[in-house]
Amino acid sequence: MAVSGIPFLEGRYSPTFDLWPIETKEFNRIHTFYDNLREGKFTTTKCRQCGRESYPPRVICPECYSDELEWIELPRKGKVEAVVEKLGGVPICFEPPLIDAWIDLGEESPVRHVLSRVINCPPESLKEDDKVQLVVFDVPSHPIEIRQETIMAERVFFAFEPVK
Amino acid sequence: MAGRNACIVGGGMCKWGVREASYIDMAQEAAKECLDDIPGLKPGYIDGLLFASAFVGRRSVQINTAPVVAERLGLNPTSICARVDVLCASGSTAILLAKGLVESGMSDVVMVVGSEKLYTPERWQVQYDEIAAIDHDWDSPQGIGPPPIWFALTAKEHMKYYGTKREQFGTASIINYDYGFSNPNGHFQRQLTMDDVLNATEIAAPLNLYDCCPLSDGSAAVIIASEERAKELSDRPPVYILGGAQVSLHSVTANWPGEHLGEWPHLRLAAEKAYKRAKIGPEDVDVAQVHDCFSISEVIELEELGFCQKGEGGPFVESGQTKIRGSIPTNTDGGLISCGHPFGATGIRQGIEILKQLQGRANNQVSDAATGLTHNLSGANAEHTVVIYGSEPGK
Ligand SMILES: [Zn+2]
Repeated sequence: MAVSGIPFLEGRYSPTFDLWPIETKEFNRIHTFYDNLREGKFTTTKCRQCGRESYPPRVICPECYSDELEWIELPRKGKVEAVVEKLGGVPICFEPPLIDAWIDLGEESPVRHVLSRVINCPPESLKEDDKVQLVVFDVPSHPIEIRQETIMAERVFFAFEPVK
Repeated sequence: MAGRNACIVGGGMCKWGVREASYIDMAQEAAKECLDDIPGLKPGYIDGLLFASAFVGRRSVQINTAPVVAERLGLNPTSICARVDVLCASGSTAILLAKGLVESGMSDVVMVVGSEKLYTPERWQVQYDEIAAIDHDWDSPQGIGPPPIWFALTAKEHMKYYGTKREQFGTASIINYDYGFSNPNGHFQRQLTMDDVLNATEIAAPLNLYDCCPLSDGSAAVIIASEERAKELSDRPPVYILGGAQVSLHSVTANWPGEHLGEWPHLRLAAEKAYKRAKIGPEDVDVAQVHDCFSISEVIELEELGFCQKGEGGPFVESGQTKIRGSIPTNTDGGLISCGHPFGATGIRQGIEILKQLQGRANNQVSDAATGLTHNLSGANAEHTVVIYGSEPGK
């Protein structure tokens, strides 16, 4: 892959322009979130000391600063509270239509709403109060250097899709 | 409290828009305009520099920017020399920090300059780069780096919960373009009709082109000094920085602090605290510059700042209350919508407009303006910054 104007960057990975998180355990202590996503689970951390459930997942509890946390599951289904579609002029990392919804995960959820893309969804079809569910997909892998070796770090991310 | 008052002494900005210039070229233009505004001031009298810029590290490939700016502006700071980044509120944040430095006695005369070169040689980066402007790992992959989608959701929620009409927030754009028409330094000098607003290119429904501020290259600079130095440097009436507050209650959108997206408790809190510090209420404010990144934002800000009842921002704007003879003339230099939005320079531009209003020399002058307010929000509405200025020292 040629890099215009910067020939020595050809074939090299620059996180500066990466849309996706660096998820791998060599760089990220909450990599379990992504491991759980691979199994179709939407998770976050809960404090074993005070019980506080927080999203996104943490390394410490934001309430009592304990570092004794455990993983809990969040709802995988929700209801559209508001939806916006961008049909043109989307950034180069997305294909139009770019559909985003403010999704209500319900009163029982530790986090009441999430903002998420809605994919696998025809344009101008998603409405308020429609049911949506978590969907996990692969995103581009990136190289990491581990001692003398370079390996590719596989990645996933999540969005929501209409419940059929 | 500290025995010293902090004043805004003078200010200037360069031409904003898509500029054939670098961030450091524009910083020099703005600094010159600023010093031309204060004939008694020489660069050698300035002992502190705060440089406000969010994207200089990415788009101009310069971090540790403050020494670069100091050198090119001929400054030799001896009290502070630092860069401030709070995205859209970088400039107003730097003004608040300068106030603290001056009041504490650490600095005497501080230049606050903001500059951004947002347009890169290839235009794809201008939008794409916003993946770094919000919570990268959680919100950027959902496509709201460029903010129109997030604020379109906000508009829909405000319409749903308060019955706000599309034409009502469209009116904010028309009024701000009217103000900006006579501002030669702004990005745009044109006027709009409601038909223009309603029939413009759709950006993210219900927001069209003229409901959105443009991204702009630009720079602005002000001098913040102790009252004593301010009076030595300028013959104009002093303008005091009376108070301010900055509130951050969340970063990831999922932790939004309101009941719905049309309710902004973090702004309410920032306003309450700033009013308390300044020992005034919203009814005392004569002129305001609020963060109209989108027309709907201004409507909600007028509510949360206490200029009208919650939920009544739509009818309030529609009835002309933000015009020059309305109850709270707002964005009197054109605001973000007409002047443009070079992130780090915006809060400084607002400060300059309030300074001129309070000294009776603004382009669109509010008669007898004695108290002014500026407001910025940052990112996906994650932070609110309020600064209050007055022509009398704090009580
Ligand atoms: Zn805890």
